[in-house]
Amino acid sequence: MNILIPLLILVPLAFALVIFFSGPRAKAMVPFGILAAALTLLLSIGLCFQVYQAPSTLSQNAGAAQATIAPKVSFISETLRFVLPVSVAGQPIDWQLSFGADGISALMVLLTGIVGFFTVWLASSQIRVRTEAYIALLLVAISMLMGVFLSMDLLSFYIFFEAVLIPLILLIHGWGDGKNPQAASKRFLLFTLAGSIPMVVGLISLAMAPLANGQPSTVAFSELSAIAAQAASSGVPIGSKDSWAVWLLLLGFGIKLAILPLHTWLPMTYAAAHPNTTSLIASVVAKLGLYGLLRIVIPLTPVALSIEAQLVVGTLGAIVIVYGALVALSKDDMREVLAFSSLSHVGFITLGLMSMTREGLGGAALQMFNHGLITAAMFWILSMLEQRHGPIRLRSEDQGMAAQYPKLAVLLVFFTLAGAGLPGLNGFVGEFLTLSGMMRVCTTLVAIAVLGTVLGAWYGLRIVQRLLFGGNGTRTDTHNRPLAGVDLTPREWVPLVAVGFLCLYIGLFPMRTMKLFQADTDRLAALAEPVSKQIHRDMDTLVVESTNP
Amino acid sequence: MQITKAAATHLTPEIILLIGGTLVMCASVLTRKSQREDIYAQRNNFAVASLMCLLAAMAARYYRGVPEIGNADLGLFRFDASALAAERLTFLGGLILILMSWSTAPKGRFAEYYGCLLIILAAIPIVGASNDLVSMFLGLELVSFPTYILLGIVRNDNAGAEASLKYFLLSAFASCFFLLGVSYLFGFCGSTNLAVIQGSFGEGKRLMALGLLLAICGLAFRITAVPFHFYAPDVFEGTSVTMAGVMSYLPKVAGFVALIRLLGTGTLSPGASGVVIPVLLGCAALTMCVGNILAVAQNNLRRMMAYSSVAHTGYLLLALVALIRQDASPGVMYSYLAAYAAMTLGLFACLGEIEAAGGKSHLIGDLAGMFQRRPAASIGLTVALISLIGLPFTAGFWAKFMVFVGTVADRQTDSISMLMGALMAINAVIAASYYWRILSTLYAKSESNVPLRVFRPSLFFAYTICTVLTILWFFVPSAM
Repeated sequence: MNILIPLLILVPLAFALVIFFSGPRAKAMVPFGILAAALTLLLSIGLCFQVYQAPSTLSQNAGAAQATIAPKVSFISETLRFVLPVSVAGQPIDWQLSFGADGISALMVLLTGIVGFFTVWLASSQIRVRTEAYIALLLVAISMLMGVFLSMDLLSFYIFFEAVLIPLILLIHGWGDGKNPQAASKRFLLFTLAGSIPMVVGLISLAMAPLANGQPSTVAFSELSAIAAQAASSGVPIGSKDSWAVWLLLLGFGIKLAILPLHTWLPMTYAAAHPNTTSLIASVVAKLGLYGLLRIVIPLTPVALSIEAQLVVGTLGAIVIVYGALVALSKDDMREVLAFSSLSHVGFITLGLMSMTREGLGGAALQMFNHGLITAAMFWILSMLEQRHGPIRLRSEDQGMAAQYPKLAVLLVFFTLAGAGLPGLNGFVGEFLTLSGMMRVCTTLVAIAVLGTVLGAWYGLRIVQRLLFGGNGTRTDTHNRPLAGVDLTPREWVPLVAVGFLCLYIGLFPMRTMKLFQADTDRLAALAEPVSKQIHRDMDTLVVESTNP
Repeated sequence: MQITKAAATHLTPEIILLIGGTLVMCASVLTRKSQREDIYAQRNNFAVASLMCLLAAMAARYYRGVPEIGNADLGLFRFDASALAAERLTFLGGLILILMSWSTAPKGRFAEYYGCLLIILAAIPIVGASNDLVSMFLGLELVSFPTYILLGIVRNDNAGAEASLKYFLLSAFASCFFLLGVSYLFGFCGSTNLAVIQGSFGEGKRLMALGLLLAICGLAFRITAVPFHFYAPDVFEGTSVTMAGVMSYLPKVAGFVALIRLLGTGTLSPGASGVVIPVLLGCAALTMCVGNILAVAQNNLRRMMAYSSVAHTGYLLLALVALIRQDASPGVMYSYLAAYAAMTLGLFACLGEIEAAGGKSHLIGDLAGMFQRRPAASIGLTVALISLIGLPFTAGFWAKFMVFVGTVADRQTDSISMLMGALMAINAVIAASYYWRILSTLYAKSESNVPLRVFRPSLFFAYTICTVLTILWFFVPSAM
């Protein structure tokens, strides 16, 4: 029984409710909101330490049914038992909800804590209208995200997965300042629902898996993953229900992570929402789809996934890398450039997940964290620039900012290089691992994806060139008066520098970070690799062939 | 005789409501004489009187206990979990509707209004307890007739006349369908007892299946299933907000409990269910799609809610199919109806309060900026709409989730069931688009920022109850 887990969900929620109901004193509640986010960050760091130090559960029950998902700390309460008036095969449904964390969840909780805290911190200076309501909604969103990452069963995962929507649409709708926040929030809502509601059907199918063995239906990840592992090792042929389930799940998660044909909500939302909101959406919310693949699709339906969709989704991931990079190159609006670059980077993670290999899965988990940090930092920088200049376009009038804002310029270059995958920074480690994982399965996809890294460096440097350099360094407003700009205040550079150090640390010592979740991804790979190898007979042979013709 | 006595004991709450309703209606004679009596006093007196009737019925229900009746299959009535659930749903809706009526009932017609409302509330549990086609038909007509009167008296303009005439003609037509079907069933089984009828289905009795289908058609009108839904938008538009709430909820409860009674939960023979289930599934698919697609096109809030109510009927029909197949217990249906009551009646109560306070709620655009003008009602509307979309932390989430489980959980290899699940999911997304349109309008900016300050306690209580129940039931779904 771990007390940090309920606290992580309830603390931000409780503070948010206090802010909502504080009535006329709400204006003074902004520091209170920052305090809540700081507490959440501390709690998430605490959780990470607990998970880091917890003994690995793998060694204890190595002989028993191998559950792929084994939380290291968990919170299970009898009060969270749901008895629904629906009976399946004559038995009423009686589902126990459980929360917990393994290395992967802990990593995502930490990401949510860090990005959430700094987003709230920056919101206090970036958001001018109804700041307290904005911060309260951010806290609700953080709480729901924590719920997704900490849930250890299908039902609570789904509840929180859906609930994240409510604060987000209000944030986009209420504080969006782009072209059309109303239309963007509607599209965001409808696209996400169009994925997540059909997903219920898939999730219900998964929950019914134990019925085949004569056991009552369950939603607990540990039990379900044990059953899936058993089925995978005994080579049971997949039925139509598995392919139904896997496609419905891929639809739901695919929309959330904006896989190619389902991505159109993303640029529109990112262009319409305030960059501060976008930083949370791009860095954490977009990870929900990837996390769902890692947590539900791969461990619970490994066979059906590798037969039906592994290479289809992998190909889409490879295409989105190049497509996102090309569109990012052609856009002028800085928000759209960042949106498409984020789209492109998520493609690498998809590729790593779909390789279903040890390197690919580990790299994807790490890259989820890395990409979260880098994207959040980029959108924070954009938010600071927009506060000074209004909409940022990569045209001549916005040139030469390096002379005016030296600190900002250094940080922008740093994060651009981290995103482009410069060795020594965190982006390199993750992308390298995901690609080397995919290399074992399909070299063609890697060849396409590598093209994306080149283009990624290109559009990254284009931002730096168009925005920071060129011009004469004196910028003028519409009446030709020189604009007085203030470089980053401590309040602004502290989050960026903190996140920058983290990027550098992961880039230099990736193994220390990966230790947190290595056991979990290895266990997953132990299940997924043989399955994938059964389906793709030429896996691992491609690499050898290409080196020894 | 013993059975009759036991039935009378069991039906005490309904008898109280019937007598109360009749007395309230008779009171109109008294109020007509004293023309000078204050209209506000009358309004309060009648509302309190009917509330007392309902509370007395609830108390009677509470103290009645669960009577035991030997040989339950033979009588006119059958008191099981379904009967109790129908009673609970009706009284819940009745409580909210009487609170809503308090300040929206038509002036000068309080007696007739409350009398009819109480009689409808008495009639639905009778339908729910019926074990015989005769008692079921009696109950159904006891719902219909007061509804005609209510539709006729709440509005005195052309739209009101159109609504009541349309409803009267089509409803009479639907009753004819039902009776025709019943006559077939009686002709073949030689009995009007439902247990006998359900037991005597065998292979090759095509005409009996026809009888069953005709009876279902008659009931499909009450629940606004497509293609019997045409009256819904006109009736919703041509009546008061409260009556729109009545029309969206009470006939639906009556129709669905009658369907559960008629088709049984798992007692239908394979021959009959082979005919009925495809028809119901097709009807559900059509109802969901037509309801949602037409709702998207509406600008008029009432018409939109009418089509939304049609769409919810589609989801409920899927739950009904799950019941017939014994994939789910009847609780699915009752939970859905309870959640639907909380969210829809809550929505209408909020609209009622906005209208009572001097705002308009005719078109969706009329609600622009309502969050600034009337925050409390807007929060109530927000919760109701989130629940109607089916997002978590509201009862609507469980309602939809349970229909999904009932539809697909036990039918993994049956493509039609999986398809129905997927179709319902698509419909839920379409529905989200028009609910979100209302929701975003509430928070939009508008020119008129005059706050609406008139406070109506009864309406406020009505939607507060609905909002609290909507949120509470998420955390305690078994209490739904």
